[in-house]
Amino acid sequence: MKLSNIKDSIKNFWKEFRQVKSGIIGLILFLIFLFAVVFEPLIISFKETNNVWRDITYWEDLPRNVPPAWTNLFTSRKSAESMEIDDPEITEQQNGNLRILTSEFTYDYQSYNPPQDIIFRADGTGSPMIIIEIVRPDDEKITLFQKPVNLGSGNDVRVSMDSNSKDAVYNFLSKKVPRSELQKINKNLLAPTDYLFSVASEDFIKNREPLNGIYKIKVTSIMQNEDANISDPYIVLPGSVYGLLGTDSYKRDLWSGVVAGVKWALLIGLLTAVVSVSIGVLYGVISAYLGGWKDSLMMRIFEVFVSTPLLPVLIVLAAVFKPSIWTLIFMMCAFFWTGSVKTVRSMALQIKEETFIEASKAAGASNLRIIFKHMVPLLIPYSFASMALFIPGAIVYEASISLLGLGDATIVTWGQILSDAYNSGAILSGIWWWVVPPGLCIALMGMAFAFIGFAADKILHPKLRTR
Amino acid sequence: MQNDKKRDVIFKIENLQKWFPVKRTMSEVFSGEKRFVKAVDGVSFDIMRGEIFGLVGESGCGKTTTGKLIMKLLDPTGGKIIFNGKDSTHLDKNDLKDYRERVQMIFQDPYASMNPRFRIKDVLEEVLIIHKKGNDKKERLEMVEKALSEVRLQPPHEYMERFPHMLSGGQRQRAATARSLILNPLMIVADEPVSMIDLSTRAEILHMMKTVQRELGLTYLYITHDLSTARYFTDKIAVMYLGKIVEMGTPDEVIDNPLHPYTQALISAVCEPIAGKVNRIKEVPIKGEVPNATDIPEGCRFHTRCPYTGEVCEKGEDPLIQDDGGEHFVACFKYKNLK
Repeated sequence: MKLSNIKDSIKNFWKEFRQVKSGIIGLILFLIFLFAVVFEPLIISFKETNNVWRDITYWEDLPRNVPPAWTNLFTSRKSAESMEIDDPEITEQQNGNLRILTSEFTYDYQSYNPPQDIIFRADGTGSPMIIIEIVRPDDEKITLFQKPVNLGSGNDVRVSMDSNSKDAVYNFLSKKVPRSELQKINKNLLAPTDYLFSVASEDFIKNREPLNGIYKIKVTSIMQNEDANISDPYIVLPGSVYGLLGTDSYKRDLWSGVVAGVKWALLIGLLTAVVSVSIGVLYGVISAYLGGWKDSLMMRIFEVFVSTPLLPVLIVLAAVFKPSIWTLIFMMCAFFWTGSVKTVRSMALQIKEETFIEASKAAGASNLRIIFKHMVPLLIPYSFASMALFIPGAIVYEASISLLGLGDATIVTWGQILSDAYNSGAILSGIWWWVVPPGLCIALMGMAFAFIGFAADKILHPKLRTR
Repeated sequence: MQNDKKRDVIFKIENLQKWFPVKRTMSEVFSGEKRFVKAVDGVSFDIMRGEIFGLVGESGCGKTTTGKLIMKLLDPTGGKIIFNGKDSTHLDKNDLKDYRERVQMIFQDPYASMNPRFRIKDVLEEVLIIHKKGNDKKERLEMVEKALSEVRLQPPHEYMERFPHMLSGGQRQRAATARSLILNPLMIVADEPVSMIDLSTRAEILHMMKTVQRELGLTYLYITHDLSTARYFTDKIAVMYLGKIVEMGTPDEVIDNPLHPYTQALISAVCEPIAGKVNRIKEVPIKGEVPNATDIPEGCRFHTRCPYTGEVCEKGEDPLIQDDGGEHFVACFKYKNLK
């Protein structure tokens, strides 16, 4: 009987909830966030994002600071998408002692903006000599890299043209353009792929025109000893667009970061809001109800908490303990509960004077009963609303704490993504895809809870709207 | 006086006082001067078992404060409340709970006196839970049903699930009455129970209250500003002015033969729906406003407004309440000359 009662009331609530449009929007948003948390491993491209967000080597094969892939839809000057070529034509030659392994990769370049880099990757042992050459559609052949690499008893080979072929590309340029032009560029800042994938003309530096067509990248490894070997070669071409939300200047995939941040945002927001608002509401109600010197004492204690700045406390705490998300949530709860006290106290002072409180008292109700059965339920709509507003507040506070470097370095949060963006001057350099998604997510999550709160308020207390 | 049962005093109020301190100016603080609003300033009366005692007066005269003092919602500044032969002026927690089980209150505004978030059954059940009546919810709900049918809210189960705002004013007041009846109290303090209700339902509610009172042998303290319902409803009327009782007696005596000039003025101010007189505004013999309760006039507290005031009224003490015979008491120096 009890169970069916609850079922019934949930059914009725839902029936009414359906009528409130904003509530439905809030619920849908919340469900989307919940979906993102539950199915996180399925929807993010990098499963280990949670553990490796600050591990730069994990992200090194991604492009740097590139917009999302879908931006190609809105422009006629397409950008090269990131890709991996792992089906080379491998030929092996034995020349006396020398074993020559050639892998030829074919890249069909059909966009306006070139890929950011060409990265050769393989497994290897010993110390083979590696020569990387590129043959362009206009039959220009450039040797990009020619060096022995020492791999010891087994190691990954990673050769990035962006960092290793600046000299080669500079030489290639010097053959094509007049000296006066050449002086305009700094060899150390030159981006090799800009010129490798452009039409070779005298105007090379000023007006680059993309040279579309088939590029052949030939990687030759010359091995002297028996133990030297190169296997599983492949080439990574970090494009000039990437994934759903692009990358940041640490080459991280922002989509993975933002999705991985959902659960932390929900945790920080919900836990902090629920705990601190609950404490605040109880404190305010009790203070107002007791009145007299007890009220004054409680208000003085409250003022101590209000006037203590949280930031210095957190800095000291971070010096003593390792900054962790749990200490941060605890400290936020310990100081944020003050936010709702004053309002709740003034509301409770009003409710306290209501006749039904007096009636209850005249009926012999205890103080606890009056506080919990009569006063607190009347403040629930307010609590909902202020919880909804505390959620974005807590998320943003976590962000500001991260900005100071006091955040939990072991997790990914929207705040940390934003503060990284801020530190890298993302807004000034127009990297909107770094700032907008986490910012929008914070706003949407706040909105979701605010909408749900207001809708529930509307339904639960149609007659109490003026209170 | 003839009936022995009637002589059984259930409530004895002796010189009850309630002074509210007023915020003082700096100079008053330094001179140690204290000022009070003397809301109730020495009220004494007896309520017999099974009696309906009416407390009448204009707003601000202290009648509601008296009711709240009796309900122990306020602590008296002075005086005594003796309930059922026991001094109940100051009670500890357990005694207070017992006291509240036996003395219940009906409030003026039946909507405000019920938590708007509670269903009618929750409102009534709460009282039972507080006083630990009934073993389980089922038993308590049966008691709720019984109480609702006692106040003629029929059929009770139809009203139990409703919220207060879903009832009409009269129904709400019935439910509020049911709440005060559910514990089988000895005494009910009804603070203007019908003043917020339509005239058309007023008589009905009062009739219901009276029927219930007879059936259960209850005692009422009926607080009102409305002389006409007081006459209809009560067995005894006390008229209050500025925190003191100025006249007390049976309703017929007090209303047909008022002795105190204030009572006379009050009665003459009652509107009568008589054809032809509708547009005539009644002339009230007294003038001015009620004096501030912080600054009660010396002598008889009514002399500033009394049409018969004389030298004797303006100095010294308040007139004591005296028996005019036939259970008719009056506090006036000159009432004999006024007859």
